[in-house]
Formats: sequence, structure tokens, C-alpha cells
Amino acid sequence: MPEEQEKKEKMNEEFEPRIVAFLCNWCSYAGADVAGSSKLEMPPTVTPVKVMCSSRVDPVMVITAFLRGADGVLIAGCHPGDCHYDKGNYYARRRFAVLRNIFDTLELEGERLRLSWVSASEGPRYAEVVRDFSKKIKQLGPNPVKQKK
Amino acid sequence: MTEKKQKAKDQVLVVGAGMAGIEASLTLAAADKKVYLVEKEPLFGGKVIKFEEVFANMECSTCMAAPKQQEVLQNEKIELLTLSKVKEIQGEAGNFTVKIEKKARYVSLEDCIGCNECFEPCPVSLPNGFEENLGERKAIYIPCPGALPNAPSIDTENCLRFTKGKDCQLCKEACMFDAIDFDQKDEEVKLNVGAIIVATGFDLMDPKQISDFGYDGEANVYTALEIERLYASNGPTEGKITLRNGKEPASAAMIHCVGRKKVGYCSAVCCMYNFKFIHYLKEKLPEITLYDFYSDLCMPGKSYQPFYEHLKDKAESIRFQDLKIAHQNGQVRLNYKSLKDRDEKLDVDMAILAPAVVPAEGASELARILGIEQAENGFFGFQSSDRSPGESGREGIYLAGCVLGPEDIGKAIAQADAAAGKVLALLG
Amino acid sequence: MEKRHIMDRKIGVYVCECGPNIADALDIDRVIEAVSGMENVAVVERYKLMCSPDGKKYLAEQIKEHGLTHLVVGACSPKQHEATFMAVCEEGGMNPFLMQMANLREQIAWITPDKEKATERAIRHMKAAIRRVRYHAQLEKKEIECNPDVLVIGGGIAGMSAALLLSSPDRKVFLVEKNEELGGMVSRCEKLFPDMVKGREITESRVKSLEEDENIEVLTGTAVENILGFFGNFVVTVREKESEPREFKVGAVVVATGADLFDPGALAEYGYGKIKNVVTASELEEMNLKGKIALEDGKEPKSVGIIHCVGRKEKGYCSEVCCRVGIKISRYLKEKIPGASVTQFYQDLCIPGSVAQAFYEETRNAGVEFVCTEAVKLSESDKKIQIDHDGKLATVDMVVLLPAIEAAESTSEISEMLGVKKGKGEFLTEEHEKIGPVTTTVEGVFLAGTVSGPKTVRDTVSQSEAAAGKILSSLVPGRKLETEARTSKISESLCTGCRTCLTVCCYSAIEYDESRGICTVNEVLCKGCGNCAAACPSGAATHQQFTQIQIHREMMEVLR
Repeated sequence: MPEEQEKKEKMNEEFEPRIVAFLCNWCSYAGADVAGSSKLEMPPTVTPVKVMCSSRVDPVMVITAFLRGADGVLIAGCHPGDCHYDKGNYYARRRFAVLRNIFDTLELEGERLRLSWVSASEGPRYAEVVRDFSKKIKQLGPNPVKQKK
Repeated sequence: MTEKKQKAKDQVLVVGAGMAGIEASLTLAAADKKVYLVEKEPLFGGKVIKFEEVFANMECSTCMAAPKQQEVLQNEKIELLTLSKVKEIQGEAGNFTVKIEKKARYVSLEDCIGCNECFEPCPVSLPNGFEENLGERKAIYIPCPGALPNAPSIDTENCLRFTKGKDCQLCKEACMFDAIDFDQKDEEVKLNVGAIIVATGFDLMDPKQISDFGYDGEANVYTALEIERLYASNGPTEGKITLRNGKEPASAAMIHCVGRKKVGYCSAVCCMYNFKFIHYLKEKLPEITLYDFYSDLCMPGKSYQPFYEHLKDKAESIRFQDLKIAHQNGQVRLNYKSLKDRDEKLDVDMAILAPAVVPAEGASELARILGIEQAENGFFGFQSSDRSPGESGREGIYLAGCVLGPEDIGKAIAQADAAAGKVLALLG
Repeated sequence: MEKRHIMDRKIGVYVCECGPNIADALDIDRVIEAVSGMENVAVVERYKLMCSPDGKKYLAEQIKEHGLTHLVVGACSPKQHEATFMAVCEEGGMNPFLMQMANLREQIAWITPDKEKATERAIRHMKAAIRRVRYHAQLEKKEIECNPDVLVIGGGIAGMSAALLLSSPDRKVFLVEKNEELGGMVSRCEKLFPDMVKGREITESRVKSLEEDENIEVLTGTAVENILGFFGNFVVTVREKESEPREFKVGAVVVATGADLFDPGALAEYGYGKIKNVVTASELEEMNLKGKIALEDGKEPKSVGIIHCVGRKEKGYCSEVCCRVGIKISRYLKEKIPGASVTQFYQDLCIPGSVAQAFYEETRNAGVEFVCTEAVKLSESDKKIQIDHDGKLATVDMVVLLPAIEAAESTSEISEMLGVKKGKGEFLTEEHEKIGPVTTTVEGVFLAGTVSGPKTVRDTVSQSEAAAGKILSSLVPGRKLETEARTSKISESLCTGCRTCLTVCCYSAIEYDESRGICTVNEVLCKGCGNCAAACPSGAATHQQFTQIQIHREMMEVLR
């Protein structure tokens, strides 16, 4: 149905995604700061929420975010092996994997949840992750759960 | 005990603010000692902050060093004196009088917020030593993005005001926080300390000293530190590995043991960082062909060989005896003798040299000032088994890190805490 | 923890201009307007440069003047100045944990060129911070008593060095050694490389110092049976052979239990235990200490082969010291049997550092041969030993094998007792390979020497002194231990005792209380990562500065 498709695409163009990014204090938040100090332009779609470790992010937080209207959720931590708290990021990875699996039940596209590793010096990488993820979310369109409200 | 002596007992001087100096300072500060951390450069963190990643866990170097650096900056017991050198010491263990020469930064650390606006208008450009001359900087500069303290300094050897007496105020005019002060003066700081820890680190031998390796800073022959800066995400190319003409290399050869014959010792870390480079280069240029020229693989300890095993298939290992580099039609020609005594040659786009680790510049002068011995090879301390490694030969002065000889970070940190332990046991 | 009624909360909101950095990038007055009407917000102001001495003074005065209970500062990144503004809170008489920063500079002003969009984001971030800070708790650092005494397990060079550096009149050191004699590996070496100083001279001088030291109690022939407790408060049980167990308290533990040597009997190619006159390096050291290096028939060997890397492939790592041990042994042979021919068979010559190469070159110049070979196979040949090295053959009277260094058998027991995990090579794992070589994830437990991996005597001594240094610095007699305030906490009423939190904690900071059937967080050990809070199925575990509701409120503002 090309007309509906067209309508959807038009909506998506005007649509400004709201993305919550859980960033860990030691690596990804610092990397985001470096991206800022380097004045790397990023779309204003992502709002960072600082946690001490990506392992703090629990599935309830993520699901709440989506139920309350987040179009995308980004979890970013230290590269595997580099976690400031020894193995925290491995737990984050496992929780993320389990969470992704239940997205079908929530009628949400799995791609709305992303896990990325960003180190404290990787400003350009953080900017790339943000730009790429924002683009993806824009393509997917607004959170379908939000629309149903 | 006199008041001066009592005060000295609670104060310690740490010379050199690389990883070892930082560790010693933090351990001493936790014991309620006042620490004067003296560093000759305008930034601190030593050599480690020049690397993007460290072997063998390939951890991001900044993630490892920055929290410690922040701790130093926020710790009230630690006073970091950058652009400073030790000029004289007198006295004895428990009561040293130290004179520090503190060069003026010409920028107020309290007022500067690190916005970097003052660089652009500066009319003087020159090669940036921190970036191994691969990039440029101005006469007022921060050595690299993320440098700490986060404030520039004026290089008086190149600034027009100081070299030519010109009344150039462009940087000062650009500063919105009035942080630039041309009237700052070099200072002599007098300290009274109970003990001294020397952690002045190392340098890499300049390969220009050995003509065999064809290093002139122009051909596609690079030193290890140049590769580190090319790969670094905060470096002159933001992480792109390129040749001098900006093109990407299709092949590269890592040459171990550069200068080893000249210095007469093995520099301990080069085999490992060359494996790290295999990882770096394959990350950025997956199609690149790599050659690893070595004499013996030095990978001691429980972690290093597994790291090598993981990477070895990504490069062709070639065991060599002698090696000379020539330049042939823009390519790098390696002429070498295999272990079977056969003469071989190989052409590559890029050669990466692992130069010998040598004592840091100024080591001899420092040894003289401190009144401690220097071995013939320039390193400090003793290598005998009946002495503790941190001993300098002079009571109250202890050593840590590569000032003792080439070694990896783990050893340097242990030595730093050991030196701190000796200081705490001495001073009580 | 005193709970303030929500009506009493007075939030002070301050937006830093950061010069032009924030002031030019967004409309601060609009931001101020947008948050002014919010519940509990008592005052909203802007200031040119909040982190300057004047700015900090102003803020402290504002706290006092308005009787502020909470503070929100919109400025640069909290990683830059959170500590600064927390100190200002204390200055103003406010609990420093009731402060929240909004990152308006690095994460908005500097990356959003559109002023309108930047202002919108800033408003959202400020509101998020205000809504979050309402739920902050008045955290306090706690002080707990601690014992400055130390237990050192292992009486080799590592244990002895640590004990001696720790010794002081106001700190007792218990040095526990399972064997009857102190000295460990070093006392079984006739000499040590590179300076060929006598091993026993070194250990004996330390033993003498220990005997003369009133602050150190040496317990030989004694095993550690159990260690309970945590940093500052360990309870140790030891037992000397058949006697009654003895208990004492310490604040820290140094594990210096050493390592073992790989058994070459496991590898057929070396014929160890089958072919006559094939010995290990330690057996040769024993002979040397007794005064005579001889074959089984009592005669002196005229030719000796020294085989490196025995067990290297099986273990998967290089044991660091063996090349130098091999060179040292050649020197023994040349010294004791001047006419003997000595040949070393090695894979890679590992001679790092400023003096090892000279050590090697001098030995080679004295007539010791070095042969580089991949594989070695030994066989008996006419009462002599034939060495097949990469297809070539050599015949010798005696072979000395240099076996890999492997984790001691006692390591598993220690690992379980203390909660320090085994890692690479089955050695105990240090906290961080580079910046934490002697600490572990169990606070108060330190590693020194070969218990954490193969290393030289010199590096062992460094590590022992480093462990001592860390203890001297953190456990000061008369000074209490301060706990980190931003830790996790487990609600007794909500906890079901499932112990999921315990399994995810990387720092052994959670304890299961059997009598109450619940888990509790040890604030001395908790590092504040929040992993337990995320893992807890009942919501009992929470991170005090990152509670579910705090994060929820922060997030919701974004999604409004």
C-alpha cells in the first residue's frame, strides 16, 4: 500500500526521536564528554542518563522507558575486559541479550534497543554511535507503544 | 624534633608524574602525607597517555589512566607542579631541602576553563613534539586533546613575545576569562621533605643514531611512538593509519630490537607492543599484509604468550640477524640476514621501528643533583638480588618505574607502591 | 537517615554561563523561566563562572542565605566539577550528596548548533536533574574500627620482605609458614642471577632480622585453616601441626604462597624419571648446594645439555625466569667442572631488562653454547643421552630440564578461603594486570610473588614491598577506616534471601546472613557499581545514589 507507506515516511521525516542513553561513568560518559569537547555535532535526540556502571541498567528501567515513550534506548559501557568494576559490563551484555529476546512480546522492534561499547577516549566513536542509532530510530518511526496511548 | 623536621616528616617529593609517580603519590596521600609531584612537561601522565591501548588486555589507555589522574588533581594532599624540575637537594633522609625550578605557564590554572579559544589566533605554528612531530601546534598550546591539567602553556622558545620581543597579544585578546598573564615569572620553589621518590621514566632511542634503519622522519619508516599517535583517536590523524603522503599502506613490517646492539640490552616491552601493533593495524586496515621481524620473542609471564598466540596468524613472523633499511622508489626495502645466514630482501610500504628504551633525557643531570649512582647504561639503582629494587644507594631516596630499566606498567606500579612503602616505613 | 518531609525541600538551581560557552549556545533566561515554577524550587539564578573561587564562594553563601536543602547546578560535565560543587555543599552546611549536576556544556552547548534545540534540551536536562535530586538521600561516610595487624601467608622471600617492611611497634605481623623452615624457593638456590649472590645469604639475613624483630611473630610448621571477615576486620584461624587451633585478628592479609614447578615426567620426550642423569633445575640446585654436581654413578659429567621451555606449550605461557636460570646453571657448571662442555637448547631467549643480556653474553663468551631449536627429544644412547633437536643430534652425559613455573597446589585452597579467584595459568588473579598488580578484588587481601604468576626474585621483592606499602597507607594504627558513601544497600524487609546479588558481586561485598535469611552489603567492600541492584528480582537491593526512582524521574523528564 504505497499511500500508507508514503504517509509513514512523511511522518518519519518530521519525527524527532527521543532516545535515552544509559552511559557508564568511567568509559562511555567520559567518551561522550570527549565528543562534546571535540565539538562533534550530534543530533539532539539522545539524552544521557549517567550510571556508575552499565551493570546498573536493569530490564525494568529499559522497559519502563519504552512504555513511557522512549523511541530508542542505548546502553553504553566499557569495552569487554575494560570494565572499571571488573566484570560489570559482561552482566550488562547478558541482560541486554535476554531483554532483546522479549521484545517481540512487547510488539517492539528489537533494534530499538542498542548496546555499544565506548571507551573514555572514543569521542568520535560515541558521535558515530549516536548518529547511526538516531538514523535507525528515525527509520523505524515513533515508538508504536507510545502511539497507542 | 624541630618544627622544620616535623614538617618534613609529613612531606614527600615525587619526581616524575607518569604512571609510577601518580601511583606513589596516591598511596602516600592516602597515608596523609603531603606530596609534591613534580613534572617537567606541561601535562602529566608520562608515556602511557600517548598510547591508545595497552597490552595485553588491550584496555583503553585513557580509561586506565584518567581516573588516577583525576584523583591526583582532586586530592588536596597532592600538589602537582608541572613545568618543574628539581634543581638542587641538600640534607638527609627525614629532612631534605629541595629547590625546584618552576617555569611559568603564563596561563592561570584557576581561571582557565580549557576552552582552547586562544590557539587559533596565534601566528606561530610548529611541529608538535607530543604528536612525535606528526602534527602541528601553536606557541600557546595544549599538547593533545584531553591533556591534564586542562590548560595551555606558552612555549617561550617559539612565542613571538619571548623570542622577538614583539607585542603580540592575540591569545590574550581571545581569552574570555582573562586567564593569560604574560607577567608570570619562573619561580624557585623551596621544599622541605622527608623523602624523595624518583620516577622519571624513559625515552626511546632516536633511530637517527643508527643509520642502518634509514630513519629520517620523511621516508615511510616510523617509530613505535609515531604509530601510537597515528592510531590514537585523539592524535593528529584521529586514528587513521597513513603514510607520509596520506595514502594507506598495503603492507607494513615491524622491526624489533632497533638499537639493541648499541645499548647492549633487551628493552623488554617491544615484542609485546609490536603484537599490539598487529592488532592496531588489522583493526584499521583489515587487508594490510604484516611482517614481524624479530630475533627472540620476549613475552614473559602468564598473560603475554596467550596474547601473542591470539594475534600471530595475522602477521608473517620472520626471524632475522642483521637488518638494514634502504629506500627504493617510495617503498621501504628491508635487507636482512635470516637465521640460516641467507641474505634476503623484502619491500614494504611502511616500516615500524621498535627503538631501544633508554633513560629519560636529563637523567644524568638528575643523578648528579640527587647524589645517586647511575649504571653505565644510564639507568639508576642496583640490579643485585641482595638489595631491594627501589634502593637508590642514598637513604631516603627511592626509585620506581623505567628509571630503573625497561619494564612494563605492572612492574612500574608495584615499584611505585614499594617505594611509597619504604617512605612510609622511614618517616612513620 | 533523617527523612525530610517533601514540603521542607528547598532546591537551589544555578545555571553556569561558563563564559560564552553555555551563555551563547542557549537561552539561559528561558531555561530559568521554565524551571522557576517547579515544586520545591526555592531559587533559580545564573552565574558567569561557577567553578571560579568567586563562584564557589557565591554558591556557598547562597546555600546559607536561602537555607537550601538540595542543589542543582547546570554547568559543565559532572566529571569535571562534581567534586568541586560537593565540596561547596559541605562548605555551605549542606549534605554533599543532595546535589545533582546537569551537563549543559559537553552534552548540549558544544554539540547542538541550533540555539532553539539546545535551549529545549537544556530545559529538559535541568528539569530531569531537579526531579531526580528530590529523591536523593543524605548519605554519610561511615567510620569503622579496624585492626592494623597483618597476616602474611608464606615464609619465602616474598613473605619475609613484606613482613619486614610492615614491622613497626604499633602493628603486629604474623608470618605463617607451613614448612618447618623459612626461606622458600630462594633458599633452595645456590646462587641468584644476575649477580650470582648466594641464595642462602639473602634468606638467612632476613631470617635473622625476623628473629630480632619483636613486632613480627613467626609461626613455622603452621597452616592457615580459615579466614573470615573483611578488610580491617579479619579473623584468622591457624594450626601448628597436631596442636589446638589458634585464632587472632588482623586487618589485612598478604598471600605469598609461591608456586610449584611443572613435572616433566608428564612429557615423554624428556625421558624424565626414565633416562638416567636427566634432572630438573631444582635437583641440580640441590646437588650444587650439597657441594658436588655428579652423575648417578658419582662421576662428574663432561658434557651437559640444558633444555629450556619444558612444559611451555602445555602451560601456554613463558615462565620468564628459566632462560636466566639456565644461564646461571651453566655458570655453576663452568665454575665447578671447568672442562665441561655446556650447551643450552632454547626456543626464544627471554632476557629482558638492563642487565640480563650482558649476563647472557658473558656466559656465552665463557664458552657456553646456545642452540636455537623448536623441539627437543631425549633418548638413551650407550649410557649417554642423545638430544634430538630439530633433527640434529647431540650427545651429552647429563641433561638439566628447565620446567615451567606453575600454580602451587595450595592455590585452590587459598582461593576458596579468601574469595580471590584463580585466573590465567590457574594463578591467583590480581585486581588489574597493569595498575593493580598486588591488590585483588577482595579489599584487604594482597598478592606478592609467584602466587600470581612467574616472576623474578627482584619483582617478587617489589611486589612484597608494594603490598606492604598499600597496607601501611590504608591501615594506619589509630585511624579508622572510612567507607564510601555511595554504596548499595539491601532492604531487610524486601529481601527474600535468593542470593542472586551475591553471585553477581565482583568484590565479595555481599554477605548472606543465615540466621535472618537475608543478604547484606558490606559498605567497606562495596565499590558502588549497582550490579546487585539490577540483578535483584525483588527490588530489595538498590544503589543509594542510583535508585530505581531517581533514575526513573530523571528519565521521565526526557520522555515527557
